[in-house]
Amino acid sequence: MSDTVLKGGGQRGSPTLALPLELRLALRDLRTSLGGFIVFVACIALGVMAIAGIGSLAGALKEGLAREGQSILGGDVAVSVVHRRVSEGEKAFLQARGAVSEVATLRAMARPAEGRRNALVRIKAADAAYPLFGAVALGEGGAQSYKSTGTAAAERLLLERLQISLGDTIRIGDADIRVTGVLEREPDQLSARPAFGPRIIMSLATLEATGLIQPGSLIRWRYRVKLADARAEMLKTFRADLERQFPDAGFSVRDRRDPNPRVSRIIDRFSQFMTLAGIATLMIGGIGVANAIAAYLARKRATIATFKCLGASGATIVRIYLIEVFLLAAIGTAVGLVAGALFPAAVVLVAGDVLPVYLPRGPQPLPLLLASFYGFLTALLFVLWPLGNARDVPPALLMRQNVSDEPSRPRLPYLVAAGVCAAALAGMAIAGAESRYLAAWSMVGLAALFVFYLGVGYAVERLARRVARPRMPELALVRASLSGPGSLARPVVLSLGAALSLLAAVSLVNTSLMKEFRTNIPKQAPSYYMLDIPREKIDSFREIVRTVEPNARFDRAPMLRGRIVRLNGARPDEKKAAPNARWVLNGDRGLTYADAVPEGSKLVQGDWWREDYAGPPLVSFEAEIAEGLGLKLGDTVSVNVLGRTLKARIANLRAVDWESLAINFVMVFSPNALAKAPHNFLATVTLPEDAGAAREAQLTQALSDEFAGVTALRVRDAIDAFRAIAERVMAAVRAAGGLTLVVGAVVLAGALGVAHPRRIRETVIFKTLGATRARLVAAHLIEYGLLALVAGLAAGALGTASAWAIVTLVMDAAFTFSATAVLQAIGLASALVLIFGAIGTWRVLGASPARQLRRTAG
Amino acid sequence: MKTDPILPAIRLEDVNVRLPSRAGLVDILSGVTLSVEQGEAVAVVGPSGSGKTTLMMVVAGLERATSGSVRIGGEDLEGLNEDELARLRAGNIGIVFQSFHLVPTMTALENVALPLEFLGEADPFAAARSALEDVGLGPRADHFPAQLSGGEQQRVAIARALSPRPKIILADEPTGNLDSKTGAQVMDLLFDLRAKFDATLLLITHDGALAKRCGQVLTMQDGSLAPQKRVAAAARK
Repeated sequence: MSDTVLKGGGQRGSPTLALPLELRLALRDLRTSLGGFIVFVACIALGVMAIAGIGSLAGALKEGLAREGQSILGGDVAVSVVHRRVSEGEKAFLQARGAVSEVATLRAMARPAEGRRNALVRIKAADAAYPLFGAVALGEGGAQSYKSTGTAAAERLLLERLQISLGDTIRIGDADIRVTGVLEREPDQLSARPAFGPRIIMSLATLEATGLIQPGSLIRWRYRVKLADARAEMLKTFRADLERQFPDAGFSVRDRRDPNPRVSRIIDRFSQFMTLAGIATLMIGGIGVANAIAAYLARKRATIATFKCLGASGATIVRIYLIEVFLLAAIGTAVGLVAGALFPAAVVLVAGDVLPVYLPRGPQPLPLLLASFYGFLTALLFVLWPLGNARDVPPALLMRQNVSDEPSRPRLPYLVAAGVCAAALAGMAIAGAESRYLAAWSMVGLAALFVFYLGVGYAVERLARRVARPRMPELALVRASLSGPGSLARPVVLSLGAALSLLAAVSLVNTSLMKEFRTNIPKQAPSYYMLDIPREKIDSFREIVRTVEPNARFDRAPMLRGRIVRLNGARPDEKKAAPNARWVLNGDRGLTYADAVPEGSKLVQGDWWREDYAGPPLVSFEAEIAEGLGLKLGDTVSVNVLGRTLKARIANLRAVDWESLAINFVMVFSPNALAKAPHNFLATVTLPEDAGAAREAQLTQALSDEFAGVTALRVRDAIDAFRAIAERVMAAVRAAGGLTLVVGAVVLAGALGVAHPRRIRETVIFKTLGATRARLVAAHLIEYGLLALVAGLAAGALGTASAWAIVTLVMDAAFTFSATAVLQAIGLASALVLIFGAIGTWRVLGASPARQLRRTAG
Repeated sequence: MKTDPILPAIRLEDVNVRLPSRAGLVDILSGVTLSVEQGEAVAVVGPSGSGKTTLMMVVAGLERATSGSVRIGGEDLEGLNEDELARLRAGNIGIVFQSFHLVPTMTALENVALPLEFLGEADPFAAARSALEDVGLGPRADHFPAQLSGGEQQRVAIARALSPRPKIILADEPTGNLDSKTGAQVMDLLFDLRAKFDATLLLITHDGALAKRCGQVLTMQDGSLAPQKRVAAAARK
């Protein structure tokens, strides 16, 4: 069709724009029909909003991290090493490149000078140059309140735990320290590792006075450098020069571009998960899109036939309605993008205090672009089938009434195009994911979800058809409604089922995890981890435990920290590691040595070395992680410990029961490899079940009296902290599920709306034939109730199966079933279906029979 | 479609139409042979179910003949696909339906302009306005079908069918949904415009008086046509 230029501005009814024919006709069509597309627009908008919102928030967080990189990191670059300070040569290297600040971080026990309480604390000991960027925020006490020797600023939580006031003295190690300030925030707080216990800041001189700085102590020494030449390219140069000059130093290096890779990874992973949830939401919304367009095109069949009689080709028909779909998708996408772009601002409004960085105000273009692609692709995917059917509407429809009203399958090109759209959607989701494996399985799961619920809906229709026609008229009406054309079984089950199964699965996973945290793990976990026990005092430490608690179990192991620097000669960043093993290569790990297979480990391959083995260093590697790193027996692993590189050959592989929380290590070396290095011991103490709080306090007090430098980490506190984090994550996941449910409800409302005209026609005929309102209401209620029950049960079943798979196969934990979760799914389904159904029934019963009958008479 | 003035406007030879139904295959048209000269007006009468509408659908290319030949302006419809048939209809065949079949979401002017837009006309709305004036509905150009009476809607439908100046007009019971007075007015209009544009008319009707206004009256019975009888040439105009 050629473009037609229409002349005559001012002539009523004559458009003055030069528009292609199909666009003109599409706009003409939409101007009177726009109101009927609220469901279409809402479904697209909600899904796009979810993807755009989470993408915008993640992008804003990462941009904020990058912008404040210097403050967060504490410098342009940060070099850290564990167990030791830098050598003079290393220090000279750093100082030649800019201003340097030295900070030590460690865990220790603090107690009041008077009194018996003690508390685990996180110590930061800093030199006079700290901080190089930003400032320490102190609530009370002056800026100098921690810089003098013998003073410190502490979090208010520590004052509460020790029941002391500002100005009181506490004891850490061998030193008495006066708490002269309340610590609120440090500029580099975000770059620190997660740890338990209140924070306390002091000078390096104060730390030295505590006597905690010993060879082999678990102290991390950080050196922040404010580069004299701070250009971006100098960051790379710095790293390269450092690696070249000190290849065996075992440094961990970060720069201001990514001040906390761990936080970046968390943001990426969370963003990825929520984006997948957003895609699921969009897919469910696609059902609403398909229903809306199919119903619209069904109403347009006569118009389409007329167009064809007047000379329009099938391709013209497709173009007209494709343009309409595109315009509607554009509206929905625009609404979703605006809402999504505003999401970071909303988060700042609600939880700005909790955020680790200031979020930039502007929109994040890339996530918005991605979200709009998803929106349009989804709309296209779900309209291709009804559009293909519309293409083939026979013009003879206008003259012969017995031309079938049921659309058949569209032509092959439309099915192929739909397949291409689906593949493109899945491909985009997988390509953009941090874990492509997880994303791929999510796409498979989503497809399986659709197939499952379509199958359930189809099964309901078939079953209704096979059931003998009941005598009771209400039940006969229900049977006809469920089994006949236009049955609500598939739309209802599909629109609700997907969202409800997600919610049920989340609820069951949460139940299982919480039970693990509350019951299973604590049952087998030790009561305390004891860190930094001096090697020469380990026996006397054990004696005290045995004296105070004869029935307590005591386990111990030597412990050092080191980084993997080579695997079979290759650098870790050259190694392709499986997602479950990659963490081992990031940062330093706990190392130990043993002359026998440690308890809680089982040899799966290879042999253990002899007790008196004196040959080249050997190492035992955890079997699953070895597989993830592509390591096998005989391969070599090089670790940097205390500034020296140790190369060992893998002598055996072990399976480790990590869930027991007993002392376990990824790498266990032969004693000759590490025994001579300066190190301390790690121990676990497991109190008997009947040991109450008083006996526990007595033990910890006795130990801290004798071993002020030993850190006692209460395992139950750690479990509680992890559980709190897990609960927050679950809450976020539930929120995603909640959004999916909202979309499911919109789709459900749309599906019921599509059925509305048919329901009115049927009701009018039934009324004409003598059916009372009570009978009709009963029929509707039974139908909706049955559908709700089926949707709820199916969601409960699928949710249970999914949760079981996630908990047992992925998390390797014990699955706990909860009937509450399933009943909640059924309850929600019932409520939604009955509410929307009741609204529809009320409107149907209110329709005037006379008007309807006059309308259909023509 | 370029028409040869010598060839008939409509030519059917031994056309059979057999369609599937629940009871098996049904012969709707059997051995229909028909020839309508250019400019002729032909009425097809017959009882309900005799195949009149199917005959019209075959001529319009809306239904395929099972066997036999259908030529419109000399062009054989057998080898044309659906889109080619649609293009043939545009500008060459104007159809007036019993139920009007106006597009409810378009104004009268837009409905009439539609076939011209499909043809790619330079100024479809000017021509559409003129066509509406011809049927006396110029002032109602911006009204939607729901705002028009039955007679007015049918006049809009006539304007739409005639706006591209088609060679052939097919009218299927055009007064079926109108009262007798309105129907008569509509038919007067249709015949006047047909004469004005010298179009060939094939009129389906069960109204004997209306049929007599045409130059030929053909009778359909059980899917077959009775032999053609031509009336005097004067009656064709």
